[in-house]
Amino acid sequence: MFSTVIEQIVNGIVTGSVYAIVAVGMTMIFGVLRAINFAHGEYYMLGTFGAWFAVDYLGLSYEASIIVGVLSTIIVAYVVGRLVMQRMVGAPAEAGVLATLGIALVLQNTVILVFGGGYKFFSGGYIEPLSVLGFSLAAQRILILVVCLLVFIGLELMVTYSRMGKSMRAVSQNVECCEVVGIDVPKVVLHTFILGAALAALSGVLTAPVNVSVYGGMGELITFKTLPIIIMGGLGNVRGTFFAAMILGIAESLVATYVGLQFRDTVGFATLILMLMWRPYGLFSTQARF
Amino acid sequence: MSLADTAQQIRRRDLRLPLAAILVVVALAAPFIGSRYVTHSLIIALIFMLPAHGLNLLVGYTGLLSLAQAAFFGIGAYAAGLLAVHYGTPFYVNATAAGLLAGACALPLGIPALRLRATSFVMCTLGFVIIGQAIAKNWISVTRGDMGLSAIPKPHFALGPLSFTVSGTTSFYYMALAIGALATLAVWMIVRSPAGRNMIAIRENETLAESLGVPTWRYKLLVFIISAVFAGVGGSLYAHYLTVVSPLTFQMYYSTTMLIIVLGGGAGTISGVVFGSLLFVGLTEALRITPELRMIAYGLCLLVLVFWFKKGFAPVLNRFWDMIGGAK
Amino acid sequence: MKHTLSRRALCISTAILSLAVTVPGLSGLALAADGTIKLGIVAPMSGPNARYGAFSMRGAELAVKEINDAGGVDGQKIELYSADSQGTPVEGVSATRRLIDEDEVDYVIGDVSSSVTLAMQPVAEDAEVLLLNAASSNPRITYAAGVGGFKWTYRNYPTDENRAFVVAKYAAEQRGFTKFAVLSVDSDYGRSAIEFTKKYLPEFKGEILTEDYYKEGEVDFRSVLAKIRDSGAQAILMYGLADTTPIVARQMVELGLAGKVTLVGNGEFNTEKTINSAPTALEGAVEAAAWLPAWDSPESKAFVEKFTTTYDEAPNNHAYVHWDTVRLLAQAIHEAGGNDREKVREALSKIKYKSPVGEVTFDDHNQARLPMILLQIENGKPAIKGAYTAEIQYPAQ
Repeated sequence: MFSTVIEQIVNGIVTGSVYAIVAVGMTMIFGVLRAINFAHGEYYMLGTFGAWFAVDYLGLSYEASIIVGVLSTIIVAYVVGRLVMQRMVGAPAEAGVLATLGIALVLQNTVILVFGGGYKFFSGGYIEPLSVLGFSLAAQRILILVVCLLVFIGLELMVTYSRMGKSMRAVSQNVECCEVVGIDVPKVVLHTFILGAALAALSGVLTAPVNVSVYGGMGELITFKTLPIIIMGGLGNVRGTFFAAMILGIAESLVATYVGLQFRDTVGFATLILMLMWRPYGLFSTQARF
Repeated sequence: MSLADTAQQIRRRDLRLPLAAILVVVALAAPFIGSRYVTHSLIIALIFMLPAHGLNLLVGYTGLLSLAQAAFFGIGAYAAGLLAVHYGTPFYVNATAAGLLAGACALPLGIPALRLRATSFVMCTLGFVIIGQAIAKNWISVTRGDMGLSAIPKPHFALGPLSFTVSGTTSFYYMALAIGALATLAVWMIVRSPAGRNMIAIRENETLAESLGVPTWRYKLLVFIISAVFAGVGGSLYAHYLTVVSPLTFQMYYSTTMLIIVLGGGAGTISGVVFGSLLFVGLTEALRITPELRMIAYGLCLLVLVFWFKKGFAPVLNRFWDMIGGAK
Repeated sequence: MKHTLSRRALCISTAILSLAVTVPGLSGLALAADGTIKLGIVAPMSGPNARYGAFSMRGAELAVKEINDAGGVDGQKIELYSADSQGTPVEGVSATRRLIDEDEVDYVIGDVSSSVTLAMQPVAEDAEVLLLNAASSNPRITYAAGVGGFKWTYRNYPTDENRAFVVAKYAAEQRGFTKFAVLSVDSDYGRSAIEFTKKYLPEFKGEILTEDYYKEGEVDFRSVLAKIRDSGAQAILMYGLADTTPIVARQMVELGLAGKVTLVGNGEFNTEKTINSAPTALEGAVEAAAWLPAWDSPESKAFVEKFTTTYDEAPNNHAYVHWDTVRLLAQAIHEAGGNDREKVREALSKIKYKSPVGEVTFDDHNQARLPMILLQIENGKPAIKGAYTAEIQYPAQ
C-alpha cells in the first residue's frame, strides 16, 4: 500500500516535470505580454514532429533529433513572434485569446495537412526499463527529470543575473517604464517567446519516446494541462510554476490510481478552482499582479 | 436653400428605413429564397446568437471576458433534452427550464469566480466548461454518458386545440427567428435601462463606478446570471434542433465560437452580434468546400480579425449605416 | 493613417463577405451532369478521430475507383462527395445537410462515431436519403432502424454487443480468465462495450476488479497500470483506440506487466505496427474485429494489396468496411435496376451480398448479419480463431 503511494508520487513527479518545462515558457510569455498563449502546446507538438521527422525521414539518431526538433521549432517561433506576438504588446486580453487560438489552429492543421492526421510512431530514445528504488522506470523518464531540474536552475540563474533575464523581469513589471529607460520591449518579447517555445519543444522531444505516438492534435491537450499550472504558480512566476506543475502531476497520478483515469484531465481545473477560492492570487503570490 | 443643396439632399436620401424593411423581408422569406441547407445554416446562426448575446452583455457591456458560455449552453441543452425525452413537455417549458437552470447554476459559480482578477477569471470560467464535460461524461445514470441523449422530440407547443409540433426545417427556422428576435429585443431593453448604463460604467472604470455608488459586485453577478440564461435558452434550441446532446456540447470550441461572434461582430453593439453570428456561420460553412484547408483558413481569419478589425465589424457596419443614412 | 487602415478593413471585409457568399454558389455550378450516382461520405477528417476518417475516405475512394474503372454500375459512374463531421454530432448534421441539400447526393455513408450517426439518422430520414453506416458499433443505431423507426438507416457493421459477447466467451472458456481489469476509451464505444461485457461476464464466472476509462489522447498509463498490476487481474479488457494501444503496450513493458497480464478486446492489436511497438506485451492478446488485414480470402487479400500500393500504407478496419460498404451499395443499385432511392432501399433489404467475410443479409432492423472475427496474437502474428455471428436480441418496443 505504502509503496504504491510512493510509486504513484514518483510517477507524478515525472509527469509534473514534463508539464513544468512547458508551463514555465508559457508563464514567462505571459509575464512580458500579459497574454494567455493558447498556442503554447503547439510548439510542444512541433518539437515532437521535428524529432520524429529527423528519425523517420532523415534517419538521424535520437540525440540529433532533439536538436532538429528544437531548432525547427525556434524557426517557426521566430516567424510567429515577428508576425504576431510582437504586435500584441499592450493589446487587450481578448485579442490575445483570439490571436493565439488562431495561431494554434494554423500550426496544428498545417502539420496535419503536411503529415496527415494519423498517429505516427516515435521510435528512438531510452525506453529500456531500469529499476530505481525498486520501481521499474524507463531510463528516458529519469532523463526528463534531470533535464527539468537543469532547466529550472538555468532559468533561475538567467532571470536573476543575465541582462536578458533582468530586462524580462523589467518588462513584466512595467512596459512604459522600460520604454522610457530604453529597453527594447519588442525584442525582449520576441526573445522570451522563442525561449518559451523552445522549452516546450524540448519537453515534447524528451517525452516522445515514452509517449510513443506523435499526432497533430497532441499540443491542445498539453495546453489545457499547463493553463491551470501557470495560474496556480502565480502568473509570470518561474519558481511557483515548478511547484504547481509538481503538485498537479502528483495529484493527477493519485486521482488516476484511486479515483479513476477518466477524471484525470479534470484534476487540473478542479484543483485550480478550489485553490482560487482559497487563494485568489495563486499559491505563490501574496497579491494580485494580473 | 440653393438648388445645389436641394439636389444634394435628394441624392443623399435616407435609405435606412427601406434597407431595414428589406432586411426584415429577407429574414422572413429566407427559407423560400435559399435552399434548405441555407435555412439550416441560418438556424445554426440563430442558435449561437443567443449565447453570444449573453456573452456580449458580459464582455461588451460589463468588460468581463468569460469562456463559461459553453458550460451554460450545455446545461441548457441537457435540461431541455432530458425534459423532452422523459416527460415530453412542450417546448416553451423546456426552454424556460433550460434558461432558469443555467441561471441557477451561474449563481453559485459566479460568486467565487467574480472575485478573481482578469486572467484568473478567464481560466476559472474555462474550468467550468471542462468540469461540465466531465460531469456529463460520468454521470451516466442521468446523462447516459458519452452516448448522449438521442431522439429528442421535435419542439411541441401544447395550446389546447391549437397544439402543434414544429417539425420541418422551415418551421423551425421561424421559431428560432422569433426567439432570436425576442432575445435581441431583450438585450436592447437591458442595455437601454439604467442597469445597462451602470454596466458600461463598470466596463469603463470599475473603481470609479464603485465610488459613484454603483453596486458593482451585484451588477457583475447579475449580468453573469443573465448571460447564462441566454446561453441556457440557446442550448434548448440546440438540443431540439439537432435532436442529440452529447458531452461534447461542453467544449471550449463552442465558448470560443461565441467569443468570436461577439468580438468579430463588435463587442458592445447589438447589431454587431447579430451580424457576427451570420458572418461566423457563413464563414465556417463556406470553408466546408476545402475540408483540408478549412481550419487553417479559419485560424488565419482570426488573426485578420485581431489585427485589422480590433473593434470587430461594428465600425464598418456603422459607417455603412451612416452612409446610406445620408451623413457626410 | 487611420483613414487608410479603415479602408483596408473595408476592403478585406468585403472580400471575406463576397467569398462567403459566392463560394457555396460556385460549388453548386460544379454539379455533374445526369447519369451519375452521387454518393456522400461523412467522416471525421479533423479532430481526434481524423485518422479513422482518413482511412474511411481512402477505402471508399478505392472502391469507387475500382467500380468506375470496371465501367460503373450498369454504365453509371459513381461520383464521391465528402464532408467532415469532426467527430461531433453538430458538425455531423451540418455535413450531412450539406451533402444532401447542396451536393444533392442520393446515398450517404457515415459516420465512424456512434453519437454522430445517431444524430444523422433523423436528417437522412427527413430527406429520404439512404444512410448506410459502415463503422459505428453502438446497438442503439439499429434498435431505432427498420421496424424500429428509421426506414432509411442501414448498418453494414457488427455491434458492440456481439463483440463484447464473443470476447468474454473466448477469454473465459478458452483462456480461463476470471479476473479482469477494465481499461477502455472514454467514449460511446468504449463505455458501451464494457456495459455489454458486464451483462455477459457473470455467465462465464468472470469478475471485474478495476474499471478505468481513458480520454482520447491520453499518454500516461503508468498509474493505472500499476493499480492493475497490484489488483491481480489476469487480463485487461481494452476496447480502445488503435493509436493508444502501442502506448499502453509500451508502458506495460515498462512496468513489467508484459507476459503476465493479457490484453483482450479491440483496438487494432493485430497490425504489424502495433505488435512491433511492444511484442512481449501483445503476445497472447485476444481481439474481436469486423475485419483484419490477415483475413484469409482472395478478395480481402487483393484489397490489402491494392490499398497498400495505392496509399503506401496498410489498410485498417475502417478502410475495409468503407470499401466493402461502397461495393454493397453498388450491388444494391444494380439489383434495383437503376439509381432510384426507394428501389435501392428495397433491394438492400432483400440483398444477399457476398462480402469477403461471408454472405451479408439484413434483418428487419436493417442490421447486417455479420460475423465478428476472433483472433489471438501468437508468435508476433495474428492467428484467426474463428468467426462468430450472433442474432441480435432487440429490446421490446
